[in-house]
Amino acid sequence: MSDLITIRMYNTGFGDSFLLTFPADRPRKVLIDCGMHQFGPGPFPAGEVVDQILADVDEPDGPRIDIVVATHRHRDHVSGFEHKSWDKVRVAEVWMPWTEHPTDPEARSIRERQSSLAQRLCLAIQQLNLDAAERDYRFAFAQNNLSNAEAMTTLHEGFKDVKRRRFLPHKNGKRTAIQPACLPGVEIHALGPSRDPKVIRDMKPPEGESYLRVTAEDGRMLSQPSPFPASPGWTRGEFDALLKELDCQELLNGFSAKTAAGISSEGVVDEMAIATSLETAVNGTSLVLMFRMGKAHLLFPGDAQWGTWREILDDTECHPMLRRTSFYKVGHHGSHNATPPEFVETFLPKGALAMIPTRPMTRWPFIPKAALLTALTKYGVEFARSDEPPSAPSRFTCQERNGKTFSVTVEIPV
Amino acid sequence: MRASSYPFPTRRSLKIFAFDPMLGRVPLHRITIDVTHEQLRPGPMGSRLTILDYDGVRGRYYEPVNLDDPALLLQDGLDPTEADPRFHQQMVYAVAMKVIENFEVALGRRIHFYRRKPLLLLPHAFAGANAYYSSRRQAILFGYFSADAAKPGSNIPGQNVFSCLSQDIIAHEVTHAIVDRLRRFFKWPTNPDMLAFHEGFADIVAIFQHFSFPEILNHAIQETHGDLRRPTPLIELAAQFGQATGKGEALRTALDRPDAAASNNILEPHQRGSILVAAVFDGFFTTFQSRIQDLLRLASGGTGRLPEGYLHPDLVNRLAQEARATAQAVLRMCIRAFDYLPPVDVTFGDYLRALVTADYELNPDDRSGLRRNMVEAFRVRGIYPHGVRSLAEDSLLWERFDAGATCPDYVISELNNRLLSEAASSSRSSTRDQVAEEKLGRREEKTLNYLARELRKKAWESFDKLDLASPHTVRTNLVSMHPVFRIGQDGQLLVETVIQFVQERRRSKSSYGGVAMRGGSTVIAQADGRIRYVISKPLDSTDLRPEKAREGKEREMRFESFLRDFDCTDACQIWRDERYHQERLVRGLTLAMVDRRGAG
Ligand SMILES: [Zn+2]
Repeated sequence: MSDLITIRMYNTGFGDSFLLTFPADRPRKVLIDCGMHQFGPGPFPAGEVVDQILADVDEPDGPRIDIVVATHRHRDHVSGFEHKSWDKVRVAEVWMPWTEHPTDPEARSIRERQSSLAQRLCLAIQQLNLDAAERDYRFAFAQNNLSNAEAMTTLHEGFKDVKRRRFLPHKNGKRTAIQPACLPGVEIHALGPSRDPKVIRDMKPPEGESYLRVTAEDGRMLSQPSPFPASPGWTRGEFDALLKELDCQELLNGFSAKTAAGISSEGVVDEMAIATSLETAVNGTSLVLMFRMGKAHLLFPGDAQWGTWREILDDTECHPMLRRTSFYKVGHHGSHNATPPEFVETFLPKGALAMIPTRPMTRWPFIPKAALLTALTKYGVEFARSDEPPSAPSRFTCQERNGKTFSVTVEIPV
Repeated sequence: MRASSYPFPTRRSLKIFAFDPMLGRVPLHRITIDVTHEQLRPGPMGSRLTILDYDGVRGRYYEPVNLDDPALLLQDGLDPTEADPRFHQQMVYAVAMKVIENFEVALGRRIHFYRRKPLLLLPHAFAGANAYYSSRRQAILFGYFSADAAKPGSNIPGQNVFSCLSQDIIAHEVTHAIVDRLRRFFKWPTNPDMLAFHEGFADIVAIFQHFSFPEILNHAIQETHGDLRRPTPLIELAAQFGQATGKGEALRTALDRPDAAASNNILEPHQRGSILVAAVFDGFFTTFQSRIQDLLRLASGGTGRLPEGYLHPDLVNRLAQEARATAQAVLRMCIRAFDYLPPVDVTFGDYLRALVTADYELNPDDRSGLRRNMVEAFRVRGIYPHGVRSLAEDSLLWERFDAGATCPDYVISELNNRLLSEAASSSRSSTRDQVAEEKLGRREEKTLNYLARELRKKAWESFDKLDLASPHTVRTNLVSMHPVFRIGQDGQLLVETVIQFVQERRRSKSSYGGVAMRGGSTVIAQADGRIRYVISKPLDSTDLRPEKAREGKEREMRFESFLRDFDCTDACQIWRDERYHQERLVRGLTLAMVDRRGAG
């Protein structure tokens, strides 16, 4: 029996997929996420990555995973679960954030709000009069938030011989560690998503048709019914004439037709702004897990956002384990706001290891955020990226395929 | 031969919904308010406000109401209705004028908007469940929308909800516009309190305006048995808006959330602002309670505990009178504090000091205990001014200036010119000449620039005494100048000059997300030019005394850490380019955005 935990990060481009192997009589396997972003795929087809995962969890009587974790429903975290091959995988437990609970009313209202907005957004974007590349980009961006039904069905109903599905953290037992039978010697703390109403509010994007654009892209007004049945309102020309009749033309002084058009377009909230807040809202539902085995402390925050992080950093009960973090999965592909500077500077200990599933994107120059990488180095945290081989010598090993990084592996002593 | 003319009325009565139309369905909530009379053109278009009903969603214009039409003059305007846009215009005008009036009465001077132009109000500007003030357009844009079909509260699903029919939203936005006039740099945040101050203050004005409606107040007192902390529309903001946007309750209230303290973790401006609102309301309530103790004893045979059941209407009237008087005193106190605020980088703690100082100058002995109660209410919420040792009144008062500097005569005499021209323009008020007004507005601006140049040219030796860096090293502006009143030792009313100096560190914008690093001083001088107060936010400059330069350095560090906290919460930066990044604070955290996200 080895006393090392192995963490393998697959290169899924702009997406997360991690396989953890815990030492035991029979090495135990935990898969955390399996997805890639429509707009930022990795160098290998998704099927190839899934096949490799299945090979990595293969046992004499077929593939077997002890716990499958889906941190949140974004495509770049779950799209891989669409594949049919998962049916033959034995899984003891499936873990998801509490916001995926099928019957919890709060969870349902969050999901419904997120997915109905995502649907309307996708529709609205398809109707925009844009050049194809721009439309595809916006569409992929919005689509990341669609409910990803097939993948979610696998997680909720699929796999073989599932004994238990957990939606975490539990309502009241947030700080009690989970000691799953399938993972002997491992204790897991679910630190997020928050159940604090203030934080939950951030998970609920704005709702209501009114948030979607009511003018066409070229500024042309769509015909809207007047809110006043008896007053249809006047066009500018008619209004001018009316004011002349009332002898008060100065009412339009300084309010040119151009100003009016400016007001009309200023009132419009554009799809990208809505898509961004939706993207953030779904990230906010991320399941945050701290795995403890012996002295090893592995922190997987999904793509947790500020609200959840703030709550964790403010909770003094969390401080001792945060200070012992031996491995950290960098949140949201290395974005500036998914890893609070305070966590790196005050909690993450020197000598900890980190992995960043990411790839450079010309559209998003701040992913990964240079300042974050600099801070990790400055505070003595060695890290590896999924898209490039680790600089030698290193605690990380890289598995290449066709001259490209296929995965990166690291061993954490227990 | 000429017929003699009749005196103009001084007040104009107009009907409005007291709260929102949803509550307005109860007849009690349709009320008549009166505002200063001025001659109005259709719009309404007056000297301070122009209501232009351009529907930005549909690109259409609605007919303007003519409040000077004899038919409307005779019946206090149109009857409250959601169905006629002209009533919407009337209500926006009436409530906005009331807010302006509250400020003018408290400050003892007229409020003018940018270059004395009227503020533009667009009652149906966009589709959305909120309204916002646009400084760039010098306009307030109100949204309208269909009530949320899934969770309509008391609204009919799909029914139109108009933000311009919410007294609270109108008052809130007009307050933003006025605050922006009084302190134009407060809208660019350099610390977490600034936008929160803007928001909280706007809510304070909206809530305390409720107390000026006798019917509403009497009703609330009867319902709560005098305990005004119990939830009633009186202390809630924008009930229909909360309902219609799916929140299921009023937008905000004057009461604390259990976790409310000015901790550094509450950053959202409305939430953070509500700490300020709760503090002020607490100060109000304590004072009100002590003012009605005798009444309660009289009405309860000495026990002070009122019997269960219906209160005698006479008692309700007397309690309401006390509540109204206290509310008025609180609102005035809150507004007057403005003259004693620094020109930039304000904090809640600065506001507390300004509040105490302004009130002390007009009302040294604090007989009602209002000032004391206010200080206590701020204290329990963890609002402490920076660098103040205790919350005793003496240490809260801004320090009196004793460096012996005086304002040059040519600066002081400019104030006298202004007072005269203001008096002249007020007496013309019934037939205002807008063209002349705007000319005057431009001239005032020129004079300020001229004075700033003069001060620089004549190398006024006192800049460093005012905690200002040398105008040769940083851009220095004189941004406003106006009178302030106080009671002298012999009980005489004195007029003094308030001058705001603002300095800007060149090329500092890009390093702070688009907001420049600014310093400045509010200087209050006596009629003989002697300076009484210098309320300053110094820059880090070698021109200054070392302790002031250090203060400037600390401010810079606080600004940096504020920006860092903002970055943590601003997720949209991830998806944006370099240009957005350089301007992220001015693009990601504006009053308009804050209000559009958080309704009002
Ligand atoms: Zn506001």
